[in-house]
Amino acid sequence: MKVRVEGLKFSYGAFSLRVPSLAFAEGRVAALVGPNGAGKSTFLKCLASVLPPGRGTVFFDGHDVAGIAGRERARLVGYVPQEPGLTFNYSVLDFVLTGRAAFIPIFSSPARRDDEAAREALRFVGLEDFGPRPVFELSSGERRLVLIARTLAQQSAVLLLDEPTTFLDPRHETEVMELVKRLAVETGKTVVVSLHALDMALKFADDMVFMKRGAVVAAGRPDDILDEALLRSVYDIPMGLRDVDGRRIVVR
Amino acid sequence: MSGRRDRRTTVLSVLAVGLPLVLSLVALNVGAYRIPPKAVFTTVAEAVFPGGDGPGPSPYADILFRVRLPRLLLALFAGAALAVSGASLQALFRNPLVFEFSLGISNGAAFGAALSIVFLGRGFPPQPAAFVFALLAVLLVVAIAGRSASQVVTILLGGVIVSALFQALLSLVEVFANPYALQSLVFWLMGSLGQATWSDLAVTLPVIGVGVAVLILMRWRLNVLSLGEEEARSLGLDTTRDKIAVIALAALVTAAATAVMGVVSWVGLIVPHLVRMAVGADNRKVVPLSAGYGAALLLLADTVARGAAPFEIPVGILTSVVGIPFFIVLLKKSGRIWL
Repeated sequence: MKVRVEGLKFSYGAFSLRVPSLAFAEGRVAALVGPNGAGKSTFLKCLASVLPPGRGTVFFDGHDVAGIAGRERARLVGYVPQEPGLTFNYSVLDFVLTGRAAFIPIFSSPARRDDEAAREALRFVGLEDFGPRPVFELSSGERRLVLIARTLAQQSAVLLLDEPTTFLDPRHETEVMELVKRLAVETGKTVVVSLHALDMALKFADDMVFMKRGAVVAAGRPDDILDEALLRSVYDIPMGLRDVDGRRIVVR
Repeated sequence: MSGRRDRRTTVLSVLAVGLPLVLSLVALNVGAYRIPPKAVFTTVAEAVFPGGDGPGPSPYADILFRVRLPRLLLALFAGAALAVSGASLQALFRNPLVFEFSLGISNGAAFGAALSIVFLGRGFPPQPAAFVFALLAVLLVVAIAGRSASQVVTILLGGVIVSALFQALLSLVEVFANPYALQSLVFWLMGSLGQATWSDLAVTLPVIGVGVAVLILMRWRLNVLSLGEEEARSLGLDTTRDKIAVIALAALVTAAATAVMGVVSWVGLIVPHLVRMAVGADNRKVVPLSAGYGAALLLLADTVARGAAPFEIPVGILTSVVGIPFFIVLLKKSGRIWL
């Protein structure tokens, strides 16, 4: 599903996000990068309508998201927050099942097919045996995977992930990013992921969006837009680009 | 592990229905005038199938049907109402320490009912005024807590403020009440099921029945709402509508119970916590089981209040006196608040 952004503006306090024009294509991973406070999370929340993006600014396959009701919207776009909002110690399966909310009327409970969708999602992220485990006992890497599984159970065509690798060790960081890539390649989803790790973005993203102070500085294929001047202007520190074994890596 | 928990859930589900039934039979023969179990049975049988070969109308019929039965039904329904609204509010506010009482709903309802009794008379049903002020109380708390409504401390602080406000207003009503009304008002406020009449119950029981049934139907939705506003919205919920529905229903059933029996607290905190300790956090189990165990707990408390001493202890005092130390032990034992 194609996602198009036109003249998106969102502000709170002194911060304002401005995205004049941007598009995300299906089957591709787009990485949002930029320093803290650049507006990556706010942008993702606007795309997910967690924050109201305003009429005529975000389109899914040409349909204005402002005109789509909550339940239908949740079937189009799934949002993975940085940390789950957990107050109660649900089992992993019960937590993943909440991803089915858009399919279940207000006075109903999950049916067998919802259970199956949740188990299938857990299988996809490699945690098929985790169903009965309490979520409070998961490691932070497992929690990220369970969050992703929850959004997979939602079966949306667009997937937005807010810094899914923060605080993870290199192995789990790589595993999560491989999973994210697999979602775009194998299931054809449109994936937008905000990242701090530039090496992960370079390795796994098909497109990159550089953001700073609420504005998009550059967007496109890494090969087309990435150079040392861009990195320096976005992050305000000298950063170098090197080619090693045919791959570009960032040094600082 | 999952199998053992499933079996435990089954046993607890059976008990949630069985316990209130068994307690009901006990409650019917306990009281100032003790009625033997056999007489309870024959009297009930005579009432259900009149004109049998029995000895004619039982001498116990008056006590059973005019005094004990309404009281028993009120205990069952009110217990279920308090426990279910407690469980629902805890999920909705993502806060294991909120319940009707800590959100000011109970005192709001009590003020509304007292206002109605003193100024509109005993003939006018006190439930509508109780509901209006119960809702007003919880909305005030939400407004005071503002955007940090999920934060444990702010919402409790808001509850304390609003409870204090309605407590003060209640005292004001007492000042205006005439001496005869005052005595029954004070006894009612301590929390007592003894004044329940069929005409009170005609309003309260259907309201609680419908309210609790709808909250039980929404039990899984509460799992989703307990993830917080942003996540619930991204999962496709109309969070504003759902929140209003849960708050209104919780206020409604609490008001319906409080209007008739006064302030009975702690049931809404203790029962959902005990249920969560036994079966886990899934509201698909917690909410319906809370209904059964809330009903059983309040009936048990009321039966003890009637049967333990030669005089009657207001059940609200009993639930507080027993409930608070019990809860403290619970906290100490588990080492943390049970989520």
